[in-house]
Amino acid sequence: METVLAFLTVFTQPQLFLLVGVGTFAGVYVGAIPGLSVTMAVSILISFTFSWDVYPAIALMIGIYMGGVYGGSRTAILLNIPGAPSAIATAMDGYPMAQKGEAGTAIGVTTVMSFIGGFIGIIVLALAAPFVSDFALSFQPRDYMLLAVLGILLVGSLSTGSLVKGIFAGAFGLAIGAVGRDPLTFAERFTFDFRLLEGGISFIAVMIGMFGVSEALMQLQHADKTAVKQKISRIVPSWGTVRRHLPLSLQTSSIGVIIGALPGTGGDIAALMAYDHAKRVTKNPEVPFGQGAIEGLVAPETANNAAVGGAFIPMMTLGIPGDAVTAIMIGALFIHGLNPGPMLMVDQPHMFWFIVGALCVANCFMLLFGLTGIKLFTRIVEMPRAVLIPLIMLLSIVGAYAVNNAITDVYWMLAFGVFGYFMRHYGYPLGPVILGVILSRLLDDNWRRAIISDREDLGRFFGGILHSPLSLVLFVAVILIFVSQTPVWAKAKAMLRKESA
Amino acid sequence: MNKIILATVSALALGAVAAQAQDYPTKEIQGIIQWGAGGSTDTVMRAVTPHAEEVLGGTVVMQNVTGGVGAIALNNVESADADGYTLLMGAENPLLYKVMGLGDKDYGDFIPVDLLARGTAILVANNDAPFDDYAGMMQYIKDNPGELKLGATGPGGLPSVITAMMDTVEGKLDVISVPYDGDGPALTALQGGAIDVMPAVLGASIEGIRAGTMKPLAIFDTEASDKLPDVPTIVSENEAYGAYLPWGPFFGVFVKEGTPDDVVAKLSDAFKQGAENADFVKLMDERGFTMMNISGDEAEEFLTNWQQNTAWLLQDAGLTSASPEEFGIEKPAE
Amino acid sequence: MTTPDPIHHDGSSDALPGGYDARRRPGELVFAILLTVASLALLWNAYGIAGLSKLSSPGAIPMATSAVMVVTALIVTVRTARQPRVADETVARDILPGTVILFVGLLVGYALLLRPLGFLPTSALFLIVGIKVLSRRGWGFTLGTALLSLAVIWLIFRLVFSVLMPAGIVPEAEFVQMLRNLFGGVL
Repeated sequence: METVLAFLTVFTQPQLFLLVGVGTFAGVYVGAIPGLSVTMAVSILISFTFSWDVYPAIALMIGIYMGGVYGGSRTAILLNIPGAPSAIATAMDGYPMAQKGEAGTAIGVTTVMSFIGGFIGIIVLALAAPFVSDFALSFQPRDYMLLAVLGILLVGSLSTGSLVKGIFAGAFGLAIGAVGRDPLTFAERFTFDFRLLEGGISFIAVMIGMFGVSEALMQLQHADKTAVKQKISRIVPSWGTVRRHLPLSLQTSSIGVIIGALPGTGGDIAALMAYDHAKRVTKNPEVPFGQGAIEGLVAPETANNAAVGGAFIPMMTLGIPGDAVTAIMIGALFIHGLNPGPMLMVDQPHMFWFIVGALCVANCFMLLFGLTGIKLFTRIVEMPRAVLIPLIMLLSIVGAYAVNNAITDVYWMLAFGVFGYFMRHYGYPLGPVILGVILSRLLDDNWRRAIISDREDLGRFFGGILHSPLSLVLFVAVILIFVSQTPVWAKAKAMLRKESA
Repeated sequence: MNKIILATVSALALGAVAAQAQDYPTKEIQGIIQWGAGGSTDTVMRAVTPHAEEVLGGTVVMQNVTGGVGAIALNNVESADADGYTLLMGAENPLLYKVMGLGDKDYGDFIPVDLLARGTAILVANNDAPFDDYAGMMQYIKDNPGELKLGATGPGGLPSVITAMMDTVEGKLDVISVPYDGDGPALTALQGGAIDVMPAVLGASIEGIRAGTMKPLAIFDTEASDKLPDVPTIVSENEAYGAYLPWGPFFGVFVKEGTPDDVVAKLSDAFKQGAENADFVKLMDERGFTMMNISGDEAEEFLTNWQQNTAWLLQDAGLTSASPEEFGIEKPAE
Repeated sequence: MTTPDPIHHDGSSDALPGGYDARRRPGELVFAILLTVASLALLWNAYGIAGLSKLSSPGAIPMATSAVMVVTALIVTVRTARQPRVADETVARDILPGTVILFVGLLVGYALLLRPLGFLPTSALFLIVGIKVLSRRGWGFTLGTALLSLAVIWLIFRLVFSVLMPAGIVPEAEFVQMLRNLFGGVL
């Protein structure tokens, strides 16, 4: 009974209900603008809500979080500029749809799928939090490293053009991620003795440059062409469409929850992994991937919203943040006099159920705001390019600066913008670069932790993999995916077919 | 109201030249936090600043500037004007930059506005570790050389200082040191069994200890903590540690050397009163921090002692990249 | 426009990269060679971090990745060199037309002026020149759109998100304090 009451708090108090709504609304827009991030918004809210009670403060933050994760897809679909890292995969099929004038359909599917993904995340949080957090804790450095390798192998499905160019781009991304003082030993890496490089290159600056500025430069060549007129008469997808993709969305949501619950990985990696998964399991998409496949929207969007619920799991059960946003929320709980930790669930079960309730409300508001106000967004795309292009460039600059209040990031963003422009022209895919940057630390740090723990002994390292069921599963997955991408596999399949014929 | 407008308009007209201390602050103040959002420095600063703002009657806009173990933030503030409009909100690390080869500036180039609080170190172990106390751990290391996995956070971090203390007192320990990028991730790894023992700050591990997700071995202080009265102190295990204690990381607010005295006084007063706020005191107490709230000569002296003790401890353990002597850091008197 | 522009394979969607499968675009070979050289420089630098000392050295992964970069860049260079050039494209028309060079110039100018001049004047200049050049419309339209959108961006980033862009010659902080005083702590 207590539980039900706590869960219903947010529904029965109009003030809290409204705050979640306001937060979600703001979140959608914060998420849509590249460079404005949910992390930033939530950390500013700490000061803003300093004198408030803890419930309204958390309600507002949860709204922003849920809305923000979803909002990144907007600009990804309409402008080919992901508003947040978790929307990179969404651009791959969303933007081709917008080019055909089907932005309305794309946004509709994205919204409904985000809603479904969001709910699956919340349900897992509510029913299985302790179980999932135990599982997440059991990941050893070795397992994180294998997970990162698994991620790197996505390069294959993210580069539709030349695979060699894709591999180059992925390795380049890994190298960018290593620039600066190594966080574990403080050794300087790829700094070439420049002071400026010691702090490293912000991955958001790379993303904004590669997708924002280089896209704007690309568009310059069509500056006087009129924009594609968007059909927005039918936005809500039909029940048939939803039902057809339900199995896929369940699978990708589970990817999202698990990746979200792992400390150190979040919605960005989840979305890319889900996209890859969709590409593998969808045998005959109506439209090929990369040209506007619905499945290419379903997968990343369910996964990144499911990751929200996932990120709360270690936070609520153990006081361990699942990602950057939950890290700040833990800080907020402290400031408001609570002690987030393993005892929170025991001492304050009310807080847990309140958060679950607020997440539910935020998810519903997201559906509401996602399906309305699309006209305004499509107006933005239909704006004359002569105005839109300089504005995108200016927003990219401000956004890059905002990440760490550093002018160096602006320089990097511009450099990567121009570099990305050439990459696009010469057929180098950009997705793998971002993938590499995202995974760089995960791979590098955990490889070193793993091999140090095994005393630099490769034999002991592989022995460890064989003795842990989790590591073994991940290792087999790595091998299978790797083999399936090499020509050997194609040959073997062809041979099998011949034999059976 | 009119008065305020008049005051600001005149300030606008006169610009920065007229920034007299009696008017200070005439514009918003930038507070640069050395560490990322959600970390303990960030939490402490965001918790104390609103109280200080009230006393000061101005706005402090806080920004996180991360990277280079906090050196980027330090250099940012150092390159701004010494007018009291840019504050550095940091922790203890800069005092070790020079000896660690991480930079050529430290708090010697700054004036402490207020040193807020200090943390206490504690040794915690994974629940499945085959020992329950400090003596047991020492025995385990002796029986299984090179098997115990000890968490670390890079040269100059709290674990490296504690490890240096242990090496000095007990003789070089044969353990594996596994590096993490902060005590948060390391404590997570401890609970998952990726490392066996972690020297951490009390505040970061206190909730885990209370809930029984990790077990405390010894607290690095001369007296037991009233938060965890049952945990033995390290001096009760081995008296030789007494020479280095009390020791702990700390949080402080700084301005650049050369800031007018009356501005510093005003800021110090504001942060002092802010830190006395009951909510803040309660928050710090619950996280296991010891309030210091000192400024002026007292703070300078604390910084000097801290730097001498720690730098030489690391030097003697062979962990520095340059000797403290080179930078005129005197060896502490025995 | 149902498919991406077939004539100018422009790579505006990442899933459909630009470039051609069997032919090389103007400048493509030079780009590939530059990448190879840069990769070699990175490999050399990675080797310098810790040499070949330990599997767990901070240089291990950087060395592995830059080695992959060198190998793949070499393959790309060799492949590209073997391909015939696209006949009907030139660098000046298809890769770096005047407007692109102009905008890259504007961006570089922006980066250089940002610190000394400050965010507001630099951005105003950038938007006015950019919109004027692209739209070729009257000054009223140009100034109106540029300044209005700049005001909106400033309000969102500076006031709501307190991102402190370099103020330069504009006494922004004093102005914001005045606004704060006027609205009595709401901001």
